[in-house]
Amino acid sequence: MTRKQRRLTMIGGSLAVLAVAAGLVLNAMRDSIVFFSTPTMAAEKQIPTGKRFRLGGLVQPGSLVKGDNLAVNFSIADGSAALPVAYKGILPDLFREGQGVIAEGALDASGVFKADTVLAKHDETYMPKDVADALKKQGHWKDDYAKQGTTAAQAQGTIQGTTK
Amino acid sequence: MTLWFVFALMTVAAIFAVLWPLSRSSSAKGGGSETAVYKDQLAEIDRDVAAGLIGVAEAEAARVEIGRRLLAAAEGERDLPSGANLGLRRASAILALIGLPIAAVTFYLSLGSPRLGDFPLASRVRTADANQPIENMVAQVEAHLEKNPTDGRGWTVLAPVLARLGRFDDAVRAYRNAINYAGDSAERRSDLGEVLAGAAGGVVTAEAKAEFERAVAQNADEPKANYFLGLAAEQDGRQADAAAIWQGMLAKAPADAPWRPLLQSALARVGAPAAPAVSGDAMAAAKDMNEDDRNAMIRGMVDRLATRLKQNGDDVEGWLRLVRAYMVMGERDKAVSTLTEARQAVGSDAERLRQLNDGLKKLGLDG
Amino acid sequence: MIAEAGHYALVLALALALIQSTVPIAGARWGDHALMNVARSTALAQLLFVGASFTALTMLHVVSDFSVVNVFENSHSAKPLLYKITGVWGNHEGSMLLWVLILALFGGLVAAFGNNLPLSLRAHVLAVQGWIAGAFYLFILVTSNPFQRIASPPIEGRDLNPVLQDIGLAVHPPMLYLGYVGFSISFSFAVAALIEGRIDAAWARWVRPWTLMAWIFLTLGIAMGSYWAYYELGWGGWWFWDPVENASLMPWLAGTALLHSAVVMEKRNALKVWTILLSILTFSLSLLGTFLVRSGVLTSVHAFATDPARGVFILLILCLFIGGSLSLYAWRASTLKQGGLFAPISREGALVLNNLFLTSACATVFIGTLYPLALEVLTGDKISVGAPFFNLTFGPLFVPLLLAVPFGPLLAWKRGDLFGAAQRLTAAGVVGLVAIAVLFAWTHGGATLAPLAIGLAVFVIAGAITDLAERIGLFRVPFTSAIARARGLPRATWGTVFAHAGMGVALIGIVCETTWNSEYIGTMKPNDVATVAGYQLKLDEITQRQGPNFREMIAQFTVRDGETLQVMTPSKRNFTTRGSSTTEAALLTRGASQLYISLGDTNADGAIAVRIYHKPLVLLIWWGPVLMAFGGLLSLSDRRLRVGAPKPAKAARALQPAE
Repeated sequence: MTRKQRRLTMIGGSLAVLAVAAGLVLNAMRDSIVFFSTPTMAAEKQIPTGKRFRLGGLVQPGSLVKGDNLAVNFSIADGSAALPVAYKGILPDLFREGQGVIAEGALDASGVFKADTVLAKHDETYMPKDVADALKKQGHWKDDYAKQGTTAAQAQGTIQGTTK
Repeated sequence: MTLWFVFALMTVAAIFAVLWPLSRSSSAKGGGSETAVYKDQLAEIDRDVAAGLIGVAEAEAARVEIGRRLLAAAEGERDLPSGANLGLRRASAILALIGLPIAAVTFYLSLGSPRLGDFPLASRVRTADANQPIENMVAQVEAHLEKNPTDGRGWTVLAPVLARLGRFDDAVRAYRNAINYAGDSAERRSDLGEVLAGAAGGVVTAEAKAEFERAVAQNADEPKANYFLGLAAEQDGRQADAAAIWQGMLAKAPADAPWRPLLQSALARVGAPAAPAVSGDAMAAAKDMNEDDRNAMIRGMVDRLATRLKQNGDDVEGWLRLVRAYMVMGERDKAVSTLTEARQAVGSDAERLRQLNDGLKKLGLDG
Repeated sequence: MIAEAGHYALVLALALALIQSTVPIAGARWGDHALMNVARSTALAQLLFVGASFTALTMLHVVSDFSVVNVFENSHSAKPLLYKITGVWGNHEGSMLLWVLILALFGGLVAAFGNNLPLSLRAHVLAVQGWIAGAFYLFILVTSNPFQRIASPPIEGRDLNPVLQDIGLAVHPPMLYLGYVGFSISFSFAVAALIEGRIDAAWARWVRPWTLMAWIFLTLGIAMGSYWAYYELGWGGWWFWDPVENASLMPWLAGTALLHSAVVMEKRNALKVWTILLSILTFSLSLLGTFLVRSGVLTSVHAFATDPARGVFILLILCLFIGGSLSLYAWRASTLKQGGLFAPISREGALVLNNLFLTSACATVFIGTLYPLALEVLTGDKISVGAPFFNLTFGPLFVPLLLAVPFGPLLAWKRGDLFGAAQRLTAAGVVGLVAIAVLFAWTHGGATLAPLAIGLAVFVIAGAITDLAERIGLFRVPFTSAIARARGLPRATWGTVFAHAGMGVALIGIVCETTWNSEYIGTMKPNDVATVAGYQLKLDEITQRQGPNFREMIAQFTVRDGETLQVMTPSKRNFTTRGSSTTEAALLTRGASQLYISLGDTNADGAIAVRIYHKPLVLLIWWGPVLMAFGGLLSLSDRRLRVGAPKPAKAARALQPAE
């Protein structure tokens, strides 16, 4: 083989591998990407039954019901809409009512979100970023959802102090 | 003084690190070269052949290959420039002798706090003298409770202090623990509700409301709970309900109840707008205005503060307040530009500048 | 004084880095030895000052000096001494200081032990190190200064976060950093070569130990992080395709490719331009990893520093170094001389194939990690790219790579004999097929993919052994002389064997754990028995215990496997003051398999939620990387100079080129 032929073989091989990789990526992009949604967005978009997505919001206080054999029902709310969630298994240590949470799963025929994974915030000041952004965007970001509350209260207090 | 001596020593060491190689004669040809690597490789092959690890024919092929590289490397090395450049050396020496200390000291002085000594924990007396900031006493109580988490009385004492310090989230936890370990009561429930609302910037959230309702369930006349339930109604836009709750309280209240004026002004707010609405608590009123009015009011206050600071920039607290206000209003750009202004205004005074920087760091705006 | 001295030492290190990044380059330009030697002494002095700075911070943490913001925010006087020390790098500022300390350490090592390097190359390498160090000193001093003070120091620190008080978490970041930062040396060598416009086989010889060292640390760091997640987070998962994990995997993939292409360059003087590019890419990916973790741009369980100012600063550093080095590459690469020739079927060809697959795999991870971010910026849609994506892309790319692994070392340099290699691999192939058949018969009708994957893993391991047997002439020459040959074999060859076998071992663990993992999730009351994978686990009792600052609920399980009796005690700790709880999983190791119990909440009726997993051969997942790292270590200890001689057309088959 001449130098040129060798080079062509190499380049051809590389392109083939890259093409395979690109094909795999595109294929996986179509099938395995999970979208994030809040209860309001889920209602608007009318996500079909059985399509997997991530549902984020706050666990509605008072909605948590523990059933037999680790079955758990609760609602995820975002201020204007709420969606009932059914989950079977052990909830994360930091799962609490009124806290930010992300559940992954799909809607069933009766409109209940069947979750197979539940992620809770992992420390005291952490709010799942997706949830915070979505709530802010919808204008439901009240100060009571995060630490900003304290600073806001302090700021109000201090401004008041200057005007006196 | 020792500190500056240590700094000087360190600087000298740094300068020495630069000057030392410059002072050495350049004739000593240090360092390896590619040819050395290839010569080693040739020797290696001889050893391998001797050990029987590779065949003679292969060794020969390898030798040819290495020989080729050796020639190429030797050729490349020949045309490398070499020689002393005294001018450059002198420039480097000056850079090290003058530039380095000046740069280091300027940089350090703008960041460091050379006047602050060490404060290791062991050497600090852990007594509560009057000068000690309240945070320290709180920390002591917290440390005590960390070890004895079931001390209900401790939580009861700590909670209101935390609330006053504005650490609402911690106060919430403290009240919850107080309720757990020192017993449930209407007062504690309504205190818990109050800090929950405080944590939410004054908004009576559903969670806070639930606490007030529990308090009222225990003692229907608990004044704080009732007041906040009224406030919750008002915040929900149910002015009439709010008025009803407050009027009911007022009717039942003893004549000397300290919270009568508060109720009256609250009632005036929802019921009779003609009455003197703005109490000393201007912000509480602002909360009930509609969005635009409130913004206008806040903006007015902020602008007044800004104008005042433009005239007299010595007030570190004022600057911090202004920056914080901009951040709360979501105007980060303005906050940052104010910050720059503040730095310029107090820049002449190192102590003030440090206070400013400390405060900014607490706001999460260091930089 | 300690705090201020540490602070000043850091400033001095910055000043030295600035000198180190300019003076030696001027020296190399005009051929002045003294100026070039400045690089050496400044690099050593830098190490001294950063070391002093780091020591100062550690002392401040140890004596709980809360007048330092960093100590106040991240320490607490009640922490055990060990965690006071490890807490130094458990936070953003401290970990960045550790980052530059390691950078200075590598710079110092090059300065101290780089005697065999040509002067100008060493000067350039250290100057490039100076640029990187300077940028990061500036970043630390300006945006995340660990020596910020508080005028009126509080009496107690803020942090006593129980989750972070763990030895695994304490050791794994330094390991990862040693890996990430270690690649800065290959980067500096690459940029130095581009500046000098000259590159040859000797270059690869000089870079090899540094790349290897970084690779070993990164391998161990990743494995350790994964094991930590496995036992500490209580989910029994060991890899989540979390962006931060991906951030460490990408440099590992690129670094592995770099190791292999550098071998080609060292031995055959080929693939030079590609090796340079890989060096740049590997370190760029390390910087990207730092950026992803430090800026908190990605939603991630690890995001502990979320500060836009820092993010922007690191992004600037990233753009400057990646953009700068790639432009330099584009400008200078054409001036580098072309290397040796080789046929597509040859050892070089196999290594090129390896590089292709590794970099493609790296690219898919890159896309999967950054695509959600790009999409969010462009369209506002939020998506999550999780395990399914990576299983569908990463997996298929690794299969051909692993299939090719045993062939590589058996092919000769320059022009190889694929048929001959295949012949010699017959035995290994048969072993793999037998493994598949046995597994199919054993699991009858279970998962189809798993036996195939295990067969592949067995083939890789058997292939590595075949390579070894071929080289020492096992079964062809008398046994004693085979042993003698094995002793004389270069340690780098042994390294290859171990590293490749480690790959197979890890694969077996991964496949077994994911396919035959059995679990029991349910509520149990005392005296209930759960049966998992043939083990009977009886819940004996649930007890409460008061720890130093927590209440602990301990469940005691008796594990029965026929006769054997063992006790496992998982627990759940409640930290009242912080209002947080942690789950302490209990592990029982049987061979390479493990039983894993973690606790959930208690019900009103006294029953407790439990998760019990049986994870067959799970430990192999981490033994594999340890084997690989050991292989790397062997190769690192090989001081021999290596040259790859092409096999003459008529050489006897019996004698293989011994490296």
